[in-house]
Order: sequence, then C-alpha cells, then structure tokens
Amino acid sequence: MLTAKQNMIECIKGGNPDRFVNQYEAIRLLFHPFMFASPLLQEGQENVKNAWGVTQSFPKGTPGAFPVHTPDKIVVKDIEHWKDYVHAPSLDFSQEQWDQCKAMYDAVDTDKAFKAVFVAPGIFEQTHYLCEIVNALTYYVEYEDEMHDLIKYLTEWELKLAEGICSNLHPDMLFHHDDWGSHDSTFMSPNMFNEFLLEPYKEIYKYYKDHGVEYIVHHSDSYAATLVPSMIEMGIDVFQGCMETNHVDELIKKYGDKISFMGCIENADVDKEDWTDEACEKEVRRVCETYGMKHFIPCIAQGGPGSVYPGVYQSLTNAIDKLNKEKFGIEDPDSARMPIEIMF
Amino acid sequence: MAGIQEVYDLVVKGKAKKVGAAVTEALEAGCDPTEILNKGMIAAMDEVGAKFKNGEIFVPEMLVAAKAMKNGVELLKPHLASGVAGAAGKVIIGTVAGDLHDIGKNLVAMMLESSGFEVIDLGVDVPKEKFVEAYEANPDTKLICCSALLTTTMNAMKETVELLNASSFRGNIKVMVGGAPISQAFADEIGADAYTEDAASCAQKAKELAA
Repeated sequence: MLTAKQNMIECIKGGNPDRFVNQYEAIRLLFHPFMFASPLLQEGQENVKNAWGVTQSFPKGTPGAFPVHTPDKIVVKDIEHWKDYVHAPSLDFSQEQWDQCKAMYDAVDTDKAFKAVFVAPGIFEQTHYLCEIVNALTYYVEYEDEMHDLIKYLTEWELKLAEGICSNLHPDMLFHHDDWGSHDSTFMSPNMFNEFLLEPYKEIYKYYKDHGVEYIVHHSDSYAATLVPSMIEMGIDVFQGCMETNHVDELIKKYGDKISFMGCIENADVDKEDWTDEACEKEVRRVCETYGMKHFIPCIAQGGPGSVYPGVYQSLTNAIDKLNKEKFGIEDPDSARMPIEIMF
Repeated sequence: MAGIQEVYDLVVKGKAKKVGAAVTEALEAGCDPTEILNKGMIAAMDEVGAKFKNGEIFVPEMLVAAKAMKNGVELLKPHLASGVAGAAGKVIIGTVAGDLHDIGKNLVAMMLESSGFEVIDLGVDVPKEKFVEAYEANPDTKLICCSALLTTTMNAMKETVELLNASSFRGNIKVMVGGAPISQAFADEIGADAYTEDAASCAQKAKELAA
C-alpha cells in the first residue's frame, strides 16, 4: 500500500494510485509567523482588526471569518490615494519565531504527508478586503492603473513572505487561498483576470517552486473552469475547492495531465444541520464514481480539513475509507497516513 | 432620439463619468426626461442584465453600468415628475441574520434600482424583525427580498419568511429569496413567492410581481 503522500502524487501525475485520495489526508496545513502576528479569528469573535487594518467578524455557526465593510471600516477611502491607507504589515520576525513554526514542519512525517504552508488571503481577496468588494470590482474597471499598483504592492509583500517561508520553514507544498468566483461564475472575465492577476501569481508561485516547493494547491471554492488555463500557466498543480458547476469530468479529460481537481463534495450538499452518515456516504460514492481516481481528489470544497457542522468531515473521511476497503481492499489506511486532523 | 441613444450607449458601457454630460445634452436637445430614463437608462440596464445572464459580461461591468445609470438618474431627477424615478415600486432588501455576504444582495439592489424600483437596503446580518419594521415604516412597499449565501443561514431566511408570512401585511407584498444555497424547492418549502438564480433575473421577476 502506498503512503497517503505517495498515493496523492500518483493521483496528480495520473500514475497508479492504489485507492482514492482521502480529502486532506496527505496535506498537513502549517502556519508561518505572520499568522500569529495577524491571527485567524476564532468562531464568535466580532469586529477584530487584522494587521492590514481590515476588520473581520466570524459569526457563530458560519464557515469562517468575513470582512466587515460598514463605511467607517473600509480601509481604502480613496483609491486614487490608496498608498495613504494601505500599509503592509511587517514581515520581520525573530529567528525564535521562525523556529517555533519550524518545529511544526519538523514534526511532519514526510513519508506520509506534505508540509503545506497555508497562505491566505490571496491577492484578489486582499484587494476586496481592503476596498470592499463592490468598490474593488468597480475599481478594476475604472481605476486600472491604481489597481495594478495596489496589486504590485501586495505581490511584493507576498514575495517577501514567500522568501521568509522558504528560507526558514522549507515547505514542500503551498496551500494558497484566493476565491475567484461564486458558485456559478467567476467574479471577473478571464481577460480581466489575466490582465491583473496572471503575472503576479506566476511570479509568486514560481518563487515557491524555485525554492523547494514541489506542489502548488490553490483554493477557490467556486466556479473557475474558464480560469483553468491561467491556473496552469501560473503553476498551480491542484485546484482545490472546485465545484461541480465546473464540469469537472470535462476538465479532467482536457487538462488532467497538467492540473488536478480536488473537491466536488460541496458544503451546501452535505454540511447541513440535518447531516447524516448515510447522506455523506451517498455523496462520496456518487462523486468518486463520477470523477474517478486520477487527477481527482474527492474532498469537501472548503479550504481546509473540517466542516461547519462537527462530524461531517470525519464522516466523509470514513466513507472514502469504506469505499477504498470495498474497491481496493485497503484495510488499514491509518497506517499509511498521519492522524486525520480537523482544523476548522 | 440621438441624445437618448448616447445615454443608452454610455450606460451599457458603464461610462459613469460621461453619462451626466450626455443626460444634460439630451435635456438641452429637448428630449423628454421620462423617455431618457425609460429608453435611455432602464432599457440599457435591461441589455446589461441580459448580457450578464448570458455570460457576455461579468460583475465589474455590471457594477459600472449600474453606477453610470445612478449618476444619470441623479442628474435627471430634478427634471422628472414626482414619483417617476422609482415608479416601479418600493423594495426592501437585506441579507438575513448571521450572514455578512453583500455582493449578491448589492447586485440585486442595483439591478432593481436600474429597473425603476426604489430600493431600501437594510444591509447585511439583518434580524428578521428589521424586515417587518422596515415595511411598517414603508407601507407602500411591494416586494421584500431576502438574501443568504451560507447553508448555515438558510434557517435564518426561513425564519424571516415565516415571520413575513405571519404578518398582517403579507397580502400586500411579494417575498423573493436568493443566494448560492437557495433553490426553487427551498423557496417553495419556506413559502416565498419567488426565487431567481441571478440579479438580472431577479429584476425581471420583480417587475412581473410588482406589475
């Protein structure tokens, strides 16, 4: 039996996986010092300002934190003078801070799992966190130069973060978050996306790949099928969060040798108040049968191991294990992977 | 009509800074203000809505078109007879309690405004009672629109619609619902009058319901 990591590599390469990859089993999401300087909100926290000055809330019973954009809380008050409002937080961390994080990376059994550094929010998200989403999307049309400049500034910050991460933590995978669409559509046209975001992401992802990162997993729990050629050009290896509206079967046929797809188990379908093990198993079976085991990883769409309703993620994991036992005789998947971690 | 066509083209292209001058020129050329509104702007936004629905344009282009129309309407308002702007009726809109998502709700609000409705936007994370209070303060409201983006806030939508359904004014309003996890089946289950998939369809449906 392959280890979870070997199996995921076989799946991505279209080689010989010996079972379905089980969600995030081969991805150990790990932090970097900036995440402690500007921590993710805990459920129930409201109106907390992060290091960029963006106010966020994480209402109880919701999947994650969300920016609060009442007029007084929008960071960029005037896009033509965004430099007066946007001040990149420091990335100068002590060796002790890096070492504390490094200990988490060193604890990973690298035979079984990738050391995946978690970076969020992405460039596009950061623009609308800072400006408010309607403003930001309008600025992409009306203030192209300012948005290019803002994105350049954010990209330079991300590259500096990447430099610190690669030289101190040595991850072999990047898990990068940036939602580029809604359930049925991308937020912007492919042309606009390429004009603003393609080159910055090529630069960021190239840096990681040039400095020890083997795989780039990009999270966007959305429709983004029309952006897949750009994702490939950026260097993304796995599009995590892909929804079925992307027609993933067609994407696998067309692009599977260049990019893999991870998702298709949508929170809206299984992660509900009245969830059951039976419903989770039914969905797992349907998704696995529909999309197969090469270039596809059945996974909850959300960006990290977990679910809104406690128990759903584990139930999905159990269902994939059960399927792997039935189809491939895998009796003891736990021996080939690190303990399942539920982070969210 | 040349002036009205210019306004139409600028709204479709989302030229917010130029539309004001075009409206002024059309007025100076003797165009009827109501025709500038209906044939120059509302008709233009109908085309924008159709293009959005067909995937020819995306959210940014729709937003700048709506902004262009808004700028044009501001300039036109003093020339319109009282009540012509917003003549389609009054709409109350909000994202339900516990949900902070606003993009879908904002798009719907803009398309409704662009279709001639007067929109009262309650914002995000709106407790169900606020919808009732807003109606009581605006008893000429024709539609109440509720948005939710999370599966976890579908229940808040259900409770909001239940409260509206139990209200004494229910017969005077139509209730519309929308958002990523919402479906026609869910809308039927909770007793809403209508569900639409996107902002452009919502504006079309709203016009039918308010007619």
